[in-house]
Amino acid sequence: MNIDELKDAWNKDDSGDMRLHLDKAKWNKTTSAVQRLRKNMKMEFISLLVCYVLIFAVLFWNVRSPLFFNITLVMLFCLLVINAFYFFRFYIFYRSMGRYDLSIINSISKITYELELNTEIYKTFNFSAIPLSVLTSITLIASKVRFDDLNNIILTHNGMLSFNMMLYVFVTIVVSFVITYICMNFYVRTSYGKYLADLKQVMNDLGELS
Amino acid sequence: MTVNPKEAEFLRQIESNKGILFKICRIYQDNAEDRDDLLQEMTLQLWLAYDSFRSESKFSSWMYRVALNTAIAFFKKQKRRPDDQSLPYEFDRAEELSRVNEEEEKLAMFYKAVHQLDKIEKALIYLYMENQSYEEIATHLGITAVNARVKMSRLKDKLKEITKKMNYEYR
Repeated sequence: MNIDELKDAWNKDDSGDMRLHLDKAKWNKTTSAVQRLRKNMKMEFISLLVCYVLIFAVLFWNVRSPLFFNITLVMLFCLLVINAFYFFRFYIFYRSMGRYDLSIINSISKITYELELNTEIYKTFNFSAIPLSVLTSITLIASKVRFDDLNNIILTHNGMLSFNMMLYVFVTIVVSFVITYICMNFYVRTSYGKYLADLKQVMNDLGELS
Repeated sequence: MTVNPKEAEFLRQIESNKGILFKICRIYQDNAEDRDDLLQEMTLQLWLAYDSFRSESKFSSWMYRVALNTAIAFFKKQKRRPDDQSLPYEFDRAEELSRVNEEEEKLAMFYKAVHQLDKIEKALIYLYMENQSYEEIATHLGITAVNARVKMSRLKDKLKEITKKMNYEYR
């Protein structure tokens, strides 16, 4: 086959049954991984705001242990700072992601780099925020129990945490770290792993060309 | 529903250059539903990137770039469809050949062969078929014109091999 001889047929080809979608409502049904990532980031930000409203409502409702209330408040502020830092970074990426008007080599490099970096930041964010969230939840629940009752359960006679309680907190932190690590890796791999591998293959093909 | 002037101009430009999108879809996807998804995705990306279009350059040149980048970065939906399993080539080809003359038959064969290339090779073939010069191809791809010429020459041989193999297998 000589493809130069096909140019006339190519120019005449109107690609038959294809129709252009100029209905903007349909454009929301994107299949691009970059757009999906943007959508997910937006949804997570909204969910986070809703969570904060709910958590603060629960925190101020029916406080029985002022000590745990204070601890929860401090931990919530820590979480807020972590969330603010990461979501600010996500926002910067959100604004600059997926520029398709560059040359193919630049555009694909940019998409691959952004997607990889974003997923790594996302994993780090969850790895640092989720265990702290678990501990905050524990102290939040503890703030709803009378301090004297709690005192008998978790403290020894000299006011220190009992061995069982220390063990419980330690195990909870370790388990939440492990679960977070496994879930995050699984989520990122299933959502973006194949796509990233595909883009890296394109990068390799481009590398061979240049 | 009112359409603002920017949107109206965009839609007009897209409509008059839709052939570019159709052919890219045909080159990159062999399944009608995937072609439709890609077409939708390209239209969306063109609209999102429309602010970056400078009217001193040709709309079609800008469109090649955005559409090709979208096609290369496009990832098929993972859902399983009844037509996910490729039909035996004889059925597929018979359907295509029933409505075509010899020239179109060759073009259909050409598309079949191109589907076996990687995404970058498809971009190269597409731009070549659109009569883009090697300098223009090199600019779109971000490589040198010499590399584009060498790669194109190899690709022509590769396509010959593929079509030869296809004829042998399906005759």
